[in-house]
Amino acid sequence: MSKLLIVDDEQDIRDFAKSFFAKRKIDCLTAANGREAITLTKNEKPNLILLDIRMDEMNGLDVLAKIREFDSNVKVIMVTGVEEKEALDKAKSLGASAYIHKPLILEELEKIVLKEIQ
Amino acid sequence: MIDYKKELESASRSMILIHEPAILIKMIVRMIVRKVNVKHAAILLYNKEKNSYVLTISRGETGLKIPPGFARVDPNSALIRFFTTERNKLLNSENGALVYGEISNLIWKESVLKNGEDMQGLLHDVSEQMQMFEAQVCIPSYFQNNLLGILLLGEKNSGEKFDHEELDFFSALASDVAMAIRNAQLFEDLRNQLDHNRDLFIHTTIALAAAIEAKDLYTRGHTERVTKLSLGIAGRLILDRAFPVPDNFLENLQIASLLHDIGKIGIPEMILNKIEKLTPEEIQIIHEHPSKGVTILQPIKELSECIKGVKYHHERYDGMGYPEKLKGEEIPLIASIISVADSYDAMTTDRPYRKAFSSKEAIAEIERNIGKQFHPKIAVALIELYKEGKI
Repeated sequence: MSKLLIVDDEQDIRDFAKSFFAKRKIDCLTAANGREAITLTKNEKPNLILLDIRMDEMNGLDVLAKIREFDSNVKVIMVTGVEEKEALDKAKSLGASAYIHKPLILEELEKIVLKEIQ
Repeated sequence: MIDYKKELESASRSMILIHEPAILIKMIVRMIVRKVNVKHAAILLYNKEKNSYVLTISRGETGLKIPPGFARVDPNSALIRFFTTERNKLLNSENGALVYGEISNLIWKESVLKNGEDMQGLLHDVSEQMQMFEAQVCIPSYFQNNLLGILLLGEKNSGEKFDHEELDFFSALASDVAMAIRNAQLFEDLRNQLDHNRDLFIHTTIALAAAIEAKDLYTRGHTERVTKLSLGIAGRLILDRAFPVPDNFLENLQIASLLHDIGKIGIPEMILNKIEKLTPEEIQIIHEHPSKGVTILQPIKELSECIKGVKYHHERYDGMGYPEKLKGEEIPLIASIISVADSYDAMTTDRPYRKAFSSKEAIAEIERNIGKQFHPKIAVALIELYKEGKI
């Protein structure tokens, strides 16, 4: 079964995303910060990571770079607040496969996650 | 009679008066969840900047709870089109609500069938969107035919359907909310308009002030510095509660400082920029600049307070100034402040006939002239600013 890791420092967003994808029969893990995300990626080997760019402590780009040090395959979708072109370019160069802007359209979130997790 | 009705109604009425639609919306959603006992409730609100209906509030103990600002709905999506296209609106019940369970009936309505697959497809997409939000009911909220937002209600915890009376009530509530939002927006627009006019006015004033500086080579930047200094002194006086300060005082002071030398436009350049000692006649002409300033500004009746600053900024505390030899407290506060700021700046910049003083020398000079040229409290305020390293 495919496994999705949701990384966001907002509890409400983690809760919502988890229940949203659980209803779509996707197995979900959540991480509240970069450290947790890295550990979970190592131990649980998710197929896809939904990674928020803006987080306190370690931001999404740093997390992605760290993950790439030991896992070059896992697919990553970046979640961003405002248009951050530079950050997105960097994410792309680190092998993120897609990004989605907040506020997002739920149908698109569903579509993009289902597509990438195949 | 629905028991929560009165409570919600009176709350929404009073909220229309204050300009806080956000609070109103939050309260309504919370109350609906609690009193109507739905699994969750949410509001999609049109956001001009994002050109989207953003999920602003979502609440629910047992149902779907989406973090505010996380999700949005595109204006071109089926749900929005359903509520914005006239012929679609006809499909709904009188109160405008759309009930999930009734969509399948709507699809088979004669008018829908006649409209072909377009309408059926639209309704199908609408039902999928409602599923996405787990909404049982959508209640649109309009202002003058513009869709401002949609109230989404989840299932009731009891599993019962929403009855007509409830839907009517929610619809009325939704239009109250629309009104509150609209009022708040109008209020905001008005405030922006005022700010805009104010900016326009200040910029025009600055342009006028620049006209003086174009003539008087030695006063480049003088107006700006005097304005800054006057406002600094006034800030200090307000802080020390040295004077009762009338409404709009700072604004008037800013304008008056910018325009204090406007009358120099009427003084020949050869006198303004003369290096040699001025003759008594020339001094007389220079002394006319406050009155000339008054003549220039008089037609603008909104500037009456500022004009006092322009007219009297060369009066002296001891009554030896010009043009009217006013004394002490007879001199308007606005003019006394400009006088101190103007003198300090004049001393600390080069003039045709002498080099600039250092700040220290200028402050000493101001101190020596307390009660003579300058109002004591105002001179002290300037000296304090200097000691604190603020000038």
